[in-house]
Amino acid sequence: MKNFADAGIRFYLILVLVFLYLPILVMALLAFNKSPLYALPFEFDLVWFKALAENDRLLKAGLNSVLIALANTVIATSLGTMAAVAFGRYTFRGKTMMQALLFPPIAIPWLVIGTAMLVFFFWIGRAIGYPGIARGLHAILLGHVALSLPYVIFVVGARLNDYPKALEEAAATLGATPWQVFRRISVPILAPGVVAASLFAFAVSFDQFVISYFLAPPGVTTLPVEIYTSIRKGFTPEINAISTIIILVSMGLMLIVARFYRFGGERSGNE
Amino acid sequence: MTPTTRTRWAILGLTGPAYLWLACTIFLPIAAMLALSFLDKSPLVPKPASFTLANYGAFFGKPFYWSLTRWSIELGFWVTLFSFLIGYPAAYALAKRVKGRWREAIFLLIVLPFWSNALVRIFSWTMVLRPNGIIDLGVQSVLPGAPTVDLLFTYPAVIIGLVHSYLPYMILTCYIALQAIDDSLIEAGRSLGANKLTTFRRVVLPLSLPGIISGSALIFVPVIGSFMEPRILGGTKGATLGMNIEEQFTVTANWPLGAALSFILLAIVLVIFGMLYPFLRKQSGAA
Amino acid sequence: MTGKTRDGKGSFGRVSRRQFVAGASALGVAAGLTPFGSRQAMAAGEVKVLNWQGYGTDEKWALEAFKKATGLDVVHEYYNSESEMITKLQTNPGAYDVIVTNSAWNDRASELGVIQPIDTAQISHFGDLNPAFRDSDLLGADGKVYGVSWVWGITAVAYSTEVFKETPKSLEALWDAKNAKRVSFRDDAIEAVSFAAIATGQDMNHPKDLAKVKEKLLALKPNLAMLWSSEDDWNKQFQAKAFDISIYWSGSALRSKNNFKLPVGFVVPDEGAVGWFDGLAIGKDAPNAEGAHKFIDYMIDPTFYVEWATKVGAPASANNAAMGALPESDDKTLYSDQAAIKRLQFMAPLTDEERQAYSDLWAEVKTEFAK
Repeated sequence: MKNFADAGIRFYLILVLVFLYLPILVMALLAFNKSPLYALPFEFDLVWFKALAENDRLLKAGLNSVLIALANTVIATSLGTMAAVAFGRYTFRGKTMMQALLFPPIAIPWLVIGTAMLVFFFWIGRAIGYPGIARGLHAILLGHVALSLPYVIFVVGARLNDYPKALEEAAATLGATPWQVFRRISVPILAPGVVAASLFAFAVSFDQFVISYFLAPPGVTTLPVEIYTSIRKGFTPEINAISTIIILVSMGLMLIVARFYRFGGERSGNE
Repeated sequence: MTPTTRTRWAILGLTGPAYLWLACTIFLPIAAMLALSFLDKSPLVPKPASFTLANYGAFFGKPFYWSLTRWSIELGFWVTLFSFLIGYPAAYALAKRVKGRWREAIFLLIVLPFWSNALVRIFSWTMVLRPNGIIDLGVQSVLPGAPTVDLLFTYPAVIIGLVHSYLPYMILTCYIALQAIDDSLIEAGRSLGANKLTTFRRVVLPLSLPGIISGSALIFVPVIGSFMEPRILGGTKGATLGMNIEEQFTVTANWPLGAALSFILLAIVLVIFGMLYPFLRKQSGAA
Repeated sequence: MTGKTRDGKGSFGRVSRRQFVAGASALGVAAGLTPFGSRQAMAAGEVKVLNWQGYGTDEKWALEAFKKATGLDVVHEYYNSESEMITKLQTNPGAYDVIVTNSAWNDRASELGVIQPIDTAQISHFGDLNPAFRDSDLLGADGKVYGVSWVWGITAVAYSTEVFKETPKSLEALWDAKNAKRVSFRDDAIEAVSFAAIATGQDMNHPKDLAKVKEKLLALKPNLAMLWSSEDDWNKQFQAKAFDISIYWSGSALRSKNNFKLPVGFVVPDEGAVGWFDGLAIGKDAPNAEGAHKFIDYMIDPTFYVEWATKVGAPASANNAAMGALPESDDKTLYSDQAAIKRLQFMAPLTDEERQAYSDLWAEVKTEFAK
């Protein structure tokens, strides 16, 4: 009976994964399809990968996107986790208000926020006499981190309802140093949330168009900007090709990480 | 609990960096937008602007805005509901039934589709949903002669596309919450004679509520402002307030109106979560 | 994260002109006397261009040829709508050299002081430009030239030659019950209002009877299969047979037919259609104004145009010499059909109020479509 239930559970998880990967699979297949218009029947061809190899602009855009997303992930995850820990550990006046403040960046469409940011940075730049300061990688990063933070705080916060403050205090009383407390008690509790949050932070930045569109200087471009501004001619399956490469490389890296590092929050001995 | 000076510094130190960052790059520009929504001209127009309530008046004066708003909220509701119905069991299975390395692997695999471009994913969905698409071909191969399955440009297509885009949030936030629940609590419930359903309802569900709330917030809130999936997958059937807001920035260059509509959207979100708040607090407090 | 970014929705054909043939005299020579700042003439070997993506200025082969001739590199930044183009120009003073502006927006840009007068003496092909575009008051102000006319095109009806054995000559085909669920429009307020105005026999820029326009658009509901948002979207859906007949852009229709081998026909209906034209402008305080003039001159060069039109597919050139050099082709036939050109209404600049009224009307109609 138990085996039967387990088989059902596995089957369900597989179904969910199939749903999540269906369009990704289609995306990858179309990268190998000859037609530029996603036409069927499928005709295998590497023409889009060849085109991509020669498309410096797109490759550079892809690299920029990855670098920005990585920097964003590190900063947003660190700052966001700290704030989430504060919300989980302490009760204080203004906490609800501060949490409510996380809604506007998610609720207001990014186009509106992006426009607001552009004009605001422009004003600041003009006021201090350096209008050029409004644009550049630093400005893009500022914007991306700000948009990722609410996601990080929400995701890490999903676990902190039962923040084991008592456990930390007990350990401290028993003579553990603050570092030991952090390392042995806080980290394992936080790990799954932090890993999930960092994955989302990467995704938020990696597909963020408006901020880069407005704040990148001429000649600097990111993958989403290339995609969303390709509206006259339309994007070719080169985009599918580069997306496929990125997904496959990430998948490889992630599975290696999963192999060697346990962050799923499994408690040793307990299970 | 009154915080001591030391905890006060801890709170400030922990929340300070994130909120300072948010203040400089988001809160201040948003505040400027809020001010703008009460003006009659964009700030970059070289004419003096004056105070007006007309932008908010436009919303209440034009019935099509109400329809768009209602549909946007309904869309947010359906997408959140389906994400929960699909995502929560998956999160539960992952947290309580999958062991060892598989858990980390599946955990990562769930987020990975997100590391691709939304527009590319949506166009891939059109390939899946249209006549002679993946679903249609699949059905035809199992049941030759079955009627053509054409889901593209329908309301369900919009829901499918959006649930796909947001499901990982629900799965992972619920997973994170569920995984934190000590199994001994569940066993205790059982040993005290509670059946599975009661244990679930009285123990598991309340304890995982923070995850459900986080996930719902991260889904409902952006979905009601969405416009890409409704436009491309919905054909003429997807109409949202988000689309109209976008047009105020790209077609009419009427930023004040676009800003006003955005803040109405935000107000709706805050009212909905504000109404749920006491209920949620009671629920998670009872646990 | 999805759904929050702008998707591909452009506005190719929102171009304006009070009258196709403006009686303006050749003022190019006079404008040539405009003082031209030499301050940054020696600026870096780079020309910064603000344009739509994939719209002529960023063809790789062209940039290589330009570099060979002048030693200048060309870098791009893209915009997705004209109003965003203006925003970018306002918030990045001195960042751009060459800007593609259409004639409906050139005036606004020069009023806002974000583009500078052009020294037409430095544009060797200026004399070859079709005077109807070159001397249009929409590309100039105060006797100065603010935009060099570059290309023009038509927004009209594209149809599947597989489905329509006979060319649908009337705009009414879009409303014909025979084409139920087979029609597509662009999701664009101004284009939709323009075509409904033409179909109801009104001035498409300033229709007097907006109620009639609305009624006409509402009548589209049973026929409408989808609203397209970009050329790419159009091609993919047409290829998948999501619709058979649609409002479309001339250059794109030719590309669909010639490059993608889709069975596309393009017709300017008896009732008329929309005409538009684009200009090339130079940014205020352009870091490399000299290079900008060179690049503009290259963009209207017949050699570039012929290669662009034959290799990639392009709208019509505003340069008579370039059109003359174009080999016989669908392009040439379409753009030299004088009878069809006479049926075009060229769009005039709209006031903010008109724009808002059309946008609201379209939003209302779309709301009905969705019901």
